[in-house]
Amino acid sequence: MPPNASPGLWTLAWRRLKRDRVGMISLAVVVAYLCMVFLAFGGWIAKDWTREVGVNYAPPVFLPDDQDPTAVALVKPVAQPDQVDLYGLQDPLARQLAQIRAHDPVGAQQPIVARRLTLPLGGDKWGHDVLTKVIKGSETSILVGLVAAILATALGTLMGALAGYFGRWVDDSFNWLYGVFTAIPYLLLIFAIAAVLQQKGVSTIILILGLTGWTGVFRLVRAEYLKHKSREYVLAAGAMGASHARRMFIHILPNTSHVILVQLSQNVVGFIKSEVILSFLGFGVPVDVVSWGSMLNEAQNELILGKWWQLAAAGTAMAILVTAFSLLTDALRDALDPKLKY
Amino acid sequence: MINHMGRLLFILLLAVPLTGVAAAPEKVLHLALSAAETGFDPVMTSDLNTASIEQQLFESLLTYDYLARPAKLVPRLAADMPTVTDHGRTWVFRLKHGVYFAPDPVFKGAKREVVAQDVIYTLMRFMDPKNRSPYKFLVEGKIIGLDELAAAARRSGHFDYDAKIPGLEALDRYTLRVRLKTTDYNFAHAMAQPMYGIVAREVIEAYAGDTASHPVGTGPYHLVRWVRSSRMVLERNPYFRHETWNFDPGNDPDSQHIAALMRGKTIPQIDRIDIQVIEEPQSAWLSFGKGELDMVGLAGQFAPLALQGDHLRSKYAARGIRLDRISDPSIAYYFINQQDPVLGGMSPEKIALRRAIFMAQNDEEMIRVIHKGQAVRNAYPIPAGVAGADPDYRSVLDYNPELANRLLDQTGYARGPDGYRRMPDGSPLAVRYTSSLSSQDRELDEMMKKALDRLSIRFESEKLKFPDMLRAERQCRVQIRLSAWIADYPDGDNFMQLWYGPHTHENNASCYQDPQWDRLYERTLTLPDSPQRNVLYHQLARMLELKGVTKVSTTHIRNVLSQPWVLGFKAHPILPSVWAYLDIDTARAPRE
Repeated sequence: MPPNASPGLWTLAWRRLKRDRVGMISLAVVVAYLCMVFLAFGGWIAKDWTREVGVNYAPPVFLPDDQDPTAVALVKPVAQPDQVDLYGLQDPLARQLAQIRAHDPVGAQQPIVARRLTLPLGGDKWGHDVLTKVIKGSETSILVGLVAAILATALGTLMGALAGYFGRWVDDSFNWLYGVFTAIPYLLLIFAIAAVLQQKGVSTIILILGLTGWTGVFRLVRAEYLKHKSREYVLAAGAMGASHARRMFIHILPNTSHVILVQLSQNVVGFIKSEVILSFLGFGVPVDVVSWGSMLNEAQNELILGKWWQLAAAGTAMAILVTAFSLLTDALRDALDPKLKY
Repeated sequence: MINHMGRLLFILLLAVPLTGVAAAPEKVLHLALSAAETGFDPVMTSDLNTASIEQQLFESLLTYDYLARPAKLVPRLAADMPTVTDHGRTWVFRLKHGVYFAPDPVFKGAKREVVAQDVIYTLMRFMDPKNRSPYKFLVEGKIIGLDELAAAARRSGHFDYDAKIPGLEALDRYTLRVRLKTTDYNFAHAMAQPMYGIVAREVIEAYAGDTASHPVGTGPYHLVRWVRSSRMVLERNPYFRHETWNFDPGNDPDSQHIAALMRGKTIPQIDRIDIQVIEEPQSAWLSFGKGELDMVGLAGQFAPLALQGDHLRSKYAARGIRLDRISDPSIAYYFINQQDPVLGGMSPEKIALRRAIFMAQNDEEMIRVIHKGQAVRNAYPIPAGVAGADPDYRSVLDYNPELANRLLDQTGYARGPDGYRRMPDGSPLAVRYTSSLSSQDRELDEMMKKALDRLSIRFESEKLKFPDMLRAERQCRVQIRLSAWIADYPDGDNFMQLWYGPHTHENNASCYQDPQWDRLYERTLTLPDSPQRNVLYHQLARMLELKGVTKVSTTHIRNVLSQPWVLGFKAHPILPSVWAYLDIDTARAPRE
């Protein structure tokens, strides 16, 4: 690059961000979490979270042993069906059972897998390792947060751009929609949409959050477009024959990108929390998926019994990520603010 | 509130000059209901919480003895046990004399005695189509002439309560003769249900449309304050007849202790019962801990806090808190819809699939992890404490994943490339488990998912709200579910009818229709509780297992905690409430 060329918006922003120590640390934390999600998603780590490696409610290794003897798994001898009185009835599967027995007598004892009495961060009620669950749960929670935030931001940006740029009845109708969505309390709206969709699953949660979360982005982007559409560069583009779409998305959009980016990261934080709330209330992920929210939901009953480790693990993991993401958002806002010139 | 304080002051003013000492403190029992009441017209009641209050407000002809185990029928409004003739088809009830309804403005200050005509009116109300009674099945199709009356009412829109029918006759002022269409030895149990408490026709007619908020019965208590879904206050019924506490404790040391404390006391001893609705078990538990509630039913998830094994933890026992632990007359059972296109059918491979699914269910783990030990393995459809129960029954469907897998291998359910099993014809196989949205049901989903994973069968979950789930079940749309049934009356028939073919679309959720089974079941109906009937019951139960219709899994344990000042309490398996038989030691109870 020639020495007299002025640095671009992004270079400046990156320079400002680099100078922000808190911002850089947050960035590192967020990147570390994203790596973890990537590894979990690819199946390289925490793949076998459903394995029951510990005893029920195995305490964390650092806790003194206070295991309730009733919690240890008991192995009982299995009744053999041929020892049971059939009260004179004919077993419709008599032939099959006889064949099985003739082939290989049932009852060769399965090796009993020894379960660990303690686990690094403790175990849940089935003896799943809480550490693996937190890692696998981060995958669900962060994916939901990211994808839903991207969906919400895209929706909000598109609607905001249309409303702000075209004004008049287009603006009025989008404002009306915005009014309807914001008039309903947020959680109530989420539940209403959850009730309409009538399905559980990760994609449902993403849809719910995406469809309800666009309002904040819409408001800010609309305001930006209102401001920019009468600026000289847009009028110049219009005079050169640029289409509406080109003016909206090629000329104006980059100048509002700092707003959108900050909104996106704020939404990620908000949606990770919302996923947790939804799962906590039972609207969340299905039974074979783990997320931080479903872990906190399970912790409701565990806490009363003094089994706090699942709550602590999921809560801490979420608190660290949310804090780091929020601080990063803050740093980004500072870095991308075009009024700060140095 | 003002009313209440004014009354108390009045009592004090009267008492002090007369006796020279302070009046005996009022005995108040503080209780909590786990769910809101539904209104106090017995004919419309179907939930346990409301029934527990109605048990105190109204009286049925018969009831169950407080201390006798297994539960034994005794007279309540009847003077003695009914005379049964004609092979259980003719029942003659004689009423106690001098039983009066609680005071109500409808009676214009007069005392209103209960007569045989009131019983007839009460029974007729169950068949009035307007009342839509959930408990009409106890009389429907049984009493001669009553169903015809109901049919006429459906046509005309008006139920003729003045009609004379041959099935219900008042022989004199205090004698009632009931004539049944067929032999029914369980009719006495129907007459002991709290919903069959006797009401007065003029009260029901005077409050037509709002009978649920004007309960007027003959019970030991009457309702003096009602804040809907929040608070109910019962006070002793001033017209309640003189009855003394005189129950036979038998050989049970606990019962003997109770009898020693209570014998000879007038019923009821407690002046006022203050009932709050506390839905959250945690709140009820904490209130009990602070002494604000006198008794509490221990929710399963708190059991490890209060109990060590079968006993109360020492920190509670040291406070004098007492634990009453009984096995509920209930069963939790898995059923599979026999009309389901995937799982239904009587070919060997379908039977093998169903039995494999049942055999993959680890009941011991469910008891330990989900119920925290507050349930027991029970494989027989009739639970302990109910006539016909068999604690030694051995199931062929006990947990045995190895055999279950072998059975599936043997019958052609090969594993596909994804590791999951296919149908013998190669089409995909998935099992859809239906449950409600509660957090406990999520744990049951996990259990089922684990069970199906053991068999390499794909798991699908269907989440429905409880009423929707029942509807789906009645329409035979549920594939597999863990259901529960608690005894209405302590007879095995109340459980065995759950698989009777003609009860499909009602209680027969497995939609099982098997002529062989139905014929056998119909034979049990003609028999009283007897060894002959038990032989048939064993065959019925075994057939349900062999054909892969159902697997009875567990029976719950009920834990009731009571404060040290509550005297005379013993948990009853059938009676929804026993408050009239209790007393309070005012010296130990905390002052208001």
